[in-house]
Amino acid sequence: MKKTTRRTFLAGAAAAVPLAATAAVAPGAVDDNPAFKNCPRAKNGKNSSRFPQVLVQDQFKKKAWFYEELLADQLVLISFTSVKGEKYYPVLDNLVKVREMIQARVGSHVKMYTITTDPHHDTPEALAKLAEENGADWQFLTGAPEDVREILASFNARGSLYALSWIGNEQTGRWLNKPSRLQPLFIAEAVGRLSTGKQHKPFLVDMHSV
Amino acid sequence: MAKRRDVLKAGAMAVASTPAIFGGAAIPRAAQAQLCRPAGIRSPLTEPDSPPVRPYIEPVYIPPAMSPVDPATLAPPPDPNRHQRFDEFRPAKHYVQHMTEGLWNYHQDLSALNPLGFGSLAWMFNGATPGETLVARYGEPVFVRRYNDLPATENALMPIGLPYTTLHLHNAHTASESDGYPEDFAGPGEFWDHHYAMMYARNDPREALGSLWYHDHMLDFTATNVYAGLSAMATFYDDLDSGDENDPNPHALHLPGTYGKYDLSFILHDVRFDQAGNPAYNVFDTDGHLGDLITVNRKVMPYLEVEPRKYRFRIYDGGPSRLYELILSDNSEMFVISTDGNLLEEPVSATSLVMGPANRHDVIIDFSRYRPGQTIEMLNIMEQINGQGPTGRRLEGPDRMKVMQFRIKELEGPDNSTIPDFLRELPRINLNEVVAEREWVFDHDMGLWTVNHEFMDPTKISASVKQGTAEIWTFRNAGSSWAHPVHVHFEEFQVLEWNGRPPTGVLRSRKDVAVLGPNDTCKAFYRFDDFLGRFPIHCHNNVHEDNAMMLRWDIVPNGGDDDHGGGWHR
Repeated sequence: MKKTTRRTFLAGAAAAVPLAATAAVAPGAVDDNPAFKNCPRAKNGKNSSRFPQVLVQDQFKKKAWFYEELLADQLVLISFTSVKGEKYYPVLDNLVKVREMIQARVGSHVKMYTITTDPHHDTPEALAKLAEENGADWQFLTGAPEDVREILASFNARGSLYALSWIGNEQTGRWLNKPSRLQPLFIAEAVGRLSTGKQHKPFLVDMHSV
Repeated sequence: MAKRRDVLKAGAMAVASTPAIFGGAAIPRAAQAQLCRPAGIRSPLTEPDSPPVRPYIEPVYIPPAMSPVDPATLAPPPDPNRHQRFDEFRPAKHYVQHMTEGLWNYHQDLSALNPLGFGSLAWMFNGATPGETLVARYGEPVFVRRYNDLPATENALMPIGLPYTTLHLHNAHTASESDGYPEDFAGPGEFWDHHYAMMYARNDPREALGSLWYHDHMLDFTATNVYAGLSAMATFYDDLDSGDENDPNPHALHLPGTYGKYDLSFILHDVRFDQAGNPAYNVFDTDGHLGDLITVNRKVMPYLEVEPRKYRFRIYDGGPSRLYELILSDNSEMFVISTDGNLLEEPVSATSLVMGPANRHDVIIDFSRYRPGQTIEMLNIMEQINGQGPTGRRLEGPDRMKVMQFRIKELEGPDNSTIPDFLRELPRINLNEVVAEREWVFDHDMGLWTVNHEFMDPTKISASVKQGTAEIWTFRNAGSSWAHPVHVHFEEFQVLEWNGRPPTGVLRSRKDVAVLGPNDTCKAFYRFDDFLGRFPIHCHNNVHEDNAMMLRWDIVPNGGDDDHGGGWHR
């Protein structure tokens, strides 16, 4: 797939807001229904219309368009937690183990992100501390609370604790999710299963009958 | 034996208690508020509508019966060592299926939109969806080799699903290695062999299964792969339910038949199509998927020409998430003769059929009450606005969803079929055989779909049951707004209690899917016999299933003389 440059992307996005709004929703089902609101959708990707067009920033205050720069064309492993949530339902210790299993591929082939479920409180500084304390060296994302709320909604994440991790390949458009505290082997396996070409591995442990 | 009059009396009561098929009280209107979604969160209501299609334009597709192949043509030949009890149940019929990607005409109005060609993208068996029907007979073991000829993921045009497949014959009494366990998958270019012993559970003809279906069961991708097209039916016959209304055997039931003529299978999938006419799906909606068009045998709102006589329709809810209440447009009577593929003891008269994903009902509809030229519709009146479960309201007037149309034509011959007063005896429940009781709680927590607060972990064995024993399993829905159609592979169960009450109507039967409404509890009697190995218990809202609402349980040897399947291990 042709990679979109920032400039064409932004130009397209600005022009596409009304288009995206009509394309992403059923005519008549939403426009006249105050229970649902529209938000600008990302563009130019297999599942771009599923994601909001918003900016996020990581624990080092590096800003990025959520879909275009972090998801489009990428193989991603996205998890969810917060500084407070880690105290009640820790997931990072498990994800660090997953990270070790896919060590060689993280950064180059696989992007790992943790999105805060508590954007009101989780500043980049707080997330930097959380990541460091847990030995997590991937990007932790926060942003304007209403924007993060849209991202969470696109993964059907409700409430302050969300125990699913999503693995997606936006080159093929295939996604699946795994419980964030599932044995790390099976989360790593899902990454291999959704990979393509030489990186594709149907399984890490052969669990077939006989 | 019940007299017809008694049956009709029971039937009249059954009409009043039809929601019992769903398990009890519908969701009260007050609970509606809980189903409202916060602003911005997506639901099927915010998904684009399918392109407009005209109802009752396409004739319904009747899948032909599978054609056997010469076993000598199988290369490599079947490997008896891969299958439990293969030598005891030497295959009498061999079949080959190829799963491929292609175009399928769901409806000409959709097919015409597709720039790829005439049709909608589909994953198919031998070029069709549903695939050919496995028409089999007890005592004639079957061998099916299924080739996965789907393209590799990066080359697949189908935008959803994963081209790895493992086919489950729901709910045949099948050894684990042939049962379509979620990890017994074959990738593109590979095949998997399935051996169906065609034996009654415990060699007891009262355990016969009749209306089954085969569908993909790939870990994490069952909902999307089935939605893409990988589902089809199976029909099992025996001496009692022989499929021949002219059977000279006086003990046969003479139900309407034969297969494909007066004995027809209809699988319902609700599908949403994109503007190019291809299936559309939101993989991020973990509540469940709802389509806005009902397909019957993968035809959108089809029609069927029928003679003014009795027909046996085997109606399947193919999912992924929708529950139905089906009626005839004149609210006329249907006789339910079977649930989840298993004949009832007595027919139950009903004016509506309530079913959840993977439920089946065989009904006899007598079209002799109509005149040639008349038409009658089948409609869905159950309101559902998201994948969680029905709202509890009924659709009225034009809001009722069109399912299919029947057009009455001239009678072509005598109708020798009957609606017997008594169908098949239920196996007796002996509670003295029970050696263990287990509870399975279906819940939702932090976005996770859980069973007993756990989620699918292929290495975790959540129950080890001893072969040759009986157990009581209780399924409980801990959710107050969710429906969970609970499915256990391999064995049928009989309901002991539903919400504390003994079963009536169609719940007095052998079943394999318990459609739990909010806070429902179903207490069921199980026996475990004949084969060993691993099997899943899961929610058959396939979206919940793919979100890890599944556990593994095993049948293990009990060390006694009754052990079967020795030498097989994982």
